[in-house]
Amino acid sequence: MKRLHIFLFTVALSLMATTVRAELTIEITQGSDDPASIAVVPFAWQGSGAPPADVAEIVDGDLARSGQFAPVARVDMLGRPTAEADVFYRDWRAINAEYLLIGRVSGVNPVRVDYELYDVLRQTRILTGNQSGPASEVRMVAHRVADAVYEKLTGVPGAFATKLLYITVDRKDGGGLSRLTLSDSDGASPVVLLKSGEPLLTPTWSPDARHIAYVSFESGRPAIYRQELATGKRQQLTNFKGLNSSPAWSPDGRSMAMVLSKGGNPDIYVMDLASGQLKQLTRHYAIDTEPTWMPDGNAILFTSDRGGKPQIYRYDLRSGATDRVTFEGSYNARPRISQDGRSMVMVHRQEGRFHIALQDLVTNRVQILTQTDLDESPSIAPNGSMVLYATKQAGRGILAAVAVDGAAKFSLPARQGDVREPAWSPYLNR
Amino acid sequence: MRQQGPRSYAECGVWILASMLSVPVSAQYVDLEAERAAATASGRAAVSQESPSSARTDPYGAQPAQTYPATSYGVNTAPAAPTAAPTATNASQPASSRMAGSELGNLFLQVQQLQQEVMRLNGKVEEQAHELTTLKEQSLQRYIDLDKRMAGATPAANESIAATATVSPIAAPSGGSAPQAGEAEGYRAAYALVQGRQFEQAIPAFKQFLQRYPDGQYAANAHYWLGELYLVLDPPDLESARQSFVLLLSQYPDNPKAADALYKLGKVQFLKGNREKAREYLDQVINLYGGSNTAVVKLASDFIDQNY
Repeated sequence: MKRLHIFLFTVALSLMATTVRAELTIEITQGSDDPASIAVVPFAWQGSGAPPADVAEIVDGDLARSGQFAPVARVDMLGRPTAEADVFYRDWRAINAEYLLIGRVSGVNPVRVDYELYDVLRQTRILTGNQSGPASEVRMVAHRVADAVYEKLTGVPGAFATKLLYITVDRKDGGGLSRLTLSDSDGASPVVLLKSGEPLLTPTWSPDARHIAYVSFESGRPAIYRQELATGKRQQLTNFKGLNSSPAWSPDGRSMAMVLSKGGNPDIYVMDLASGQLKQLTRHYAIDTEPTWMPDGNAILFTSDRGGKPQIYRYDLRSGATDRVTFEGSYNARPRISQDGRSMVMVHRQEGRFHIALQDLVTNRVQILTQTDLDESPSIAPNGSMVLYATKQAGRGILAAVAVDGAAKFSLPARQGDVREPAWSPYLNR
Repeated sequence: MRQQGPRSYAECGVWILASMLSVPVSAQYVDLEAERAAATASGRAAVSQESPSSARTDPYGAQPAQTYPATSYGVNTAPAAPTAAPTATNASQPASSRMAGSELGNLFLQVQQLQQEVMRLNGKVEEQAHELTTLKEQSLQRYIDLDKRMAGATPAANESIAATATVSPIAAPSGGSAPQAGEAEGYRAAYALVQGRQFEQAIPAFKQFLQRYPDGQYAANAHYWLGELYLVLDPPDLESARQSFVLLLSQYPDNPKAADALYKLGKVQFLKGNREKAREYLDQVINLYGGSNTAVVKLASDFIDQNY
């Protein structure tokens, strides 16, 4: 086995950490049938000068995107309380708000947000809390407030204070520039991590969300790279003949599943990241690709056409046995598993159209989540509530998200170019 | 084995792209992401042009027709280079060994066809095994359901006759606006006893039902079930069974159950020891229903084959 090939790149690539204008804008395309009504009152600014951000608006947007909440428009609010003494429940009952969130923003760096959540019908305060962070991360602070509110009201931790990775491709003639971009879960604060004239593919997260991995063609052929987010330091993990693709970190972060075709055709391998040692898992003349780990780390799911058509298989790392997982339809590919290990999202073909579908891994029931065509690359939120995927809208590649029950949807179209291959981060700082 | 690239999906198309083979890529297997990646590499537009958008929507659909021609199994009859595989093989051969290369190509093609055939069969086996497991689970589930129903019914075994008997009168609306509804309920209640294998309780339930709805639309069925129930008693009440079937045949000769009743009548006579009479009924079944009710005709002829 070759020793790990390590070197840092400075040539032919501009490694950047530049903030660019928001590339993605959110459009809520479908809400849930029975969302809870919540009034998020503009938070008081208790400092001098201009407030660092409209925290309430960010929280409001997060809750609306989940589809489970219908925020009250500010013009409909009969009062704008910012402290408990100013809360009059009848004002909120009158406009049928079920919940009320008020808060105060103080301090410049660090910025601090204090907030209170009230149940209007029961006339009680149900949550009090505060969040703080550096001024540059005021949006993240707001997302953490939304996470706390979401968890209090739904019982499920929120996943707003998370990040997205995606790839945008310029559509200029003669030079499709690929950008690997990192943004907040609402598409705000995009940062271009890597720019390349050659294709970039399949970005993925380490379980601690400190590293990412992806495939880059910058050397003229596909190779897997690992990059540390904080420093931008890069390391080339593979440089084998043929295909090097689909990196997938193990849940313990120590190894990485990948697809290599150095043995003649694409098979699934696992690399020990400390030693660089490779272990071949599948050995089949069919194409085995798109590995992903079960959250318990005991099995890897992958796509294979060993049954004549692409279907999803499960490789048990303890027994070495391979079992087929999908049986509905003639095309099921690119599995991703929810953190509880109960649900799998995948690309499913029905009547010649590619949709995102969810399979319950206990009952094996399949539910098609999207009605659009050419849906691909599903990625599941760390709290399992939403699935982000790439699709096409008016011929352009955009990102879209759908709730796992199919009820709520929103899309994140780019200002320019095509967006694809989204990867929703794990929880940050946990 | 590298040459089998055309079957690829996902990144495999990218891999072909990367290897920069200029051979035409048999594009029906190049999928979305691969195509997109190809599109991004503008300098290699040739590859992306090989992926017609129509093929993309059904990358695997065309496979069986192309890959499993019946004539392609012999070396001599193998079709000339239908896929990229032989091309790739030839491309990797020096020009001087083209002759040997073509034979090698045929062999390679054969191996590839065998592989695809095995994959197709493999898929079939996987699907059938899955179906079998599902069916097993379903029938087990059904058995458990039945078991539960029976267990639930037993404690009230004695009362159940009375209960069943009173269901119909209560359910039947006195106004008579919808007598059918009450009838259907009464019939279902009695039939539920049959399904619950409470045969001894089912007999009085059906009798009661017939008293209440002697000319109802389920009367023929009730007669039929009474006949059946007398037969499953231990010892069977052959005379009562015979009467039920005769009653059904005389009153409802055109009822769908008549054919079954005729066959059962033959069986009853056989059990009573009247072989000749039984044979008459069985022959009648075959003559009368030979063209229509094949299931009962088969039963009758099987019975004749076994006993005469």
